[in-house]
Amino acid sequence: MKDFHQGLTEAPPASGDPRPVLAEGEVVAETYEVRALIGAGGMGEVYEAHDRVLNRRVALKVVHPGVAADFLLREGRALAAIAHPGVVAVHTMGMHRGVPYLVLERVRGLSLDRLLDERRGRGERFGMVEALELLVFVADALAVVHRAGLAHRDVKPGNVMLAPGGRVVLMDFGLVLPYADRAGHQTVAGSLQYMAPEAMSGEVVEGEANLVDVYALGVLAYELLAGVAPFDGGEPLELYRAKTRPQLPRVRDHRPELPPILDDFVAQLMSAEPHDRPAGADVALWQLRAMRTQAGEGGDKHRFSVLIVDDDADMRTALALYVQAAAPDADIESTADGRRAVRAVRRRVPDLLLLDLDLPDINGIEVCMLLRGMRLGDGCMIVSVSGRATRADVELLQELGVQSLSKGPALMKELVELIQRIRPGMSP
Amino acid sequence: MAGGGSIDELLAAARAQYAATLPGKVAALEQIVRQAAWPEARRAAHKLRGSASTYDHVALGESAGAIEEVLLACSDTPDEVARAKIEAHLVEARAAAEQACGEAR
Repeated sequence: MKDFHQGLTEAPPASGDPRPVLAEGEVVAETYEVRALIGAGGMGEVYEAHDRVLNRRVALKVVHPGVAADFLLREGRALAAIAHPGVVAVHTMGMHRGVPYLVLERVRGLSLDRLLDERRGRGERFGMVEALELLVFVADALAVVHRAGLAHRDVKPGNVMLAPGGRVVLMDFGLVLPYADRAGHQTVAGSLQYMAPEAMSGEVVEGEANLVDVYALGVLAYELLAGVAPFDGGEPLELYRAKTRPQLPRVRDHRPELPPILDDFVAQLMSAEPHDRPAGADVALWQLRAMRTQAGEGGDKHRFSVLIVDDDADMRTALALYVQAAAPDADIESTADGRRAVRAVRRRVPDLLLLDLDLPDINGIEVCMLLRGMRLGDGCMIVSVSGRATRADVELLQELGVQSLSKGPALMKELVELIQRIRPGMSP
Repeated sequence: MAGGGSIDELLAAARAQYAATLPGKVAALEQIVRQAAWPEARRAAHKLRGSASTYDHVALGESAGAIEEVLLACSDTPDEVARAKIEAHLVEARAAAEQACGEAR
């Protein structure tokens, strides 16, 4: 919490007054008794307080005197729009002695940056499954934030709290902005290490602020998996150059045993070009879930399962053979229509779903939308295999987290490579 | 999936088996065209396009694809010009299927 709302640099309190805004024992709104200062930054402070009415601990956030309070209102409203265990809850907001305050859920636990430091100190790194599970939680919370039309803009290990009961909570929404706040997104704010290049240069395109969070998720993923940050500190310009180099650091440079598909995924999240990243936190979440499912199944003990959906029996035969070529022990099921495919996934989620787009009843894109909408195929990698997908189809499929392959002579090679990228080293 | 044999042998067998069916598939497509069942013809051409190209019968895949594109362009209601194009592509498809079948024997 030490860099709470710090912007690009740690700033002293705007008023220049080093004294805490609230005193220990002070009662705010006749309800919240201040217990201790638990965090402070350039813009404000966070206290632990006791809610005398409901008899619970809360976090009380205030701004330094003289600091504009609009961000606190933005944060309060943003949090009020979201109800999710992965996002810190807001209780109320008010004014005390002329100081605006925000009452938040007091989340106890260990921040991810502290855990990373502890692991580094012991020379340990996160296991792949452990890292994927954490990333799934963070991506899930981010997806909820994005669905509310908001961008967090300060995703980093210090803002991820590991709370008791396995709960992972995204904290500190001090920089949150609605997608539509064009002027706000031109303002450079956040933590440089985790900041997307377009955010560093104040060039976030309207409506694409979610991709800034996707980038930060990538840096966080890199740090969890590699055990080190992808970019060294340094001057902003130096960092910007490092982030926009054609050759970005790869997780497998540090952990060659990790599967290439995970390495590629992290690199994709950290793409300098926003449109090269997954189209949103939802898409990243589906991909993370698919990787976690496979990794968590225990490698060799888990039989790789594939569902082939194509109305052409010849294609089903070819695809089954190609899958066998890459994964001789694969458990292959096939069906000729979309409705049966949805039923099959409902019965058992395969590791890989190979889906023709032109199907007789509901087409492949509709199948994807159904699966995503009903959250049936979240742990499954979906790959469309089509003879005639348009550019618009491919783009829509990308939005649904679906990779596209084309029917043709190169299909076997592409499919075998894809399966080999998923499978080797997937054991944790 | 048939048991026994390496995956390469299985693939070769599947290709040969598929190639043997190609003249029949093209004949079936011609039959549908003769009946002027255009949506059905387009779907059959689409299937043939995908599977033939996947089994590496590129020429046949292209001919079938051309038939599908003609029917797509006219929303399954071909005029005389479009029908002539379909006929020409069917001739190509027949030749490509016979060749693929012959090579597989």
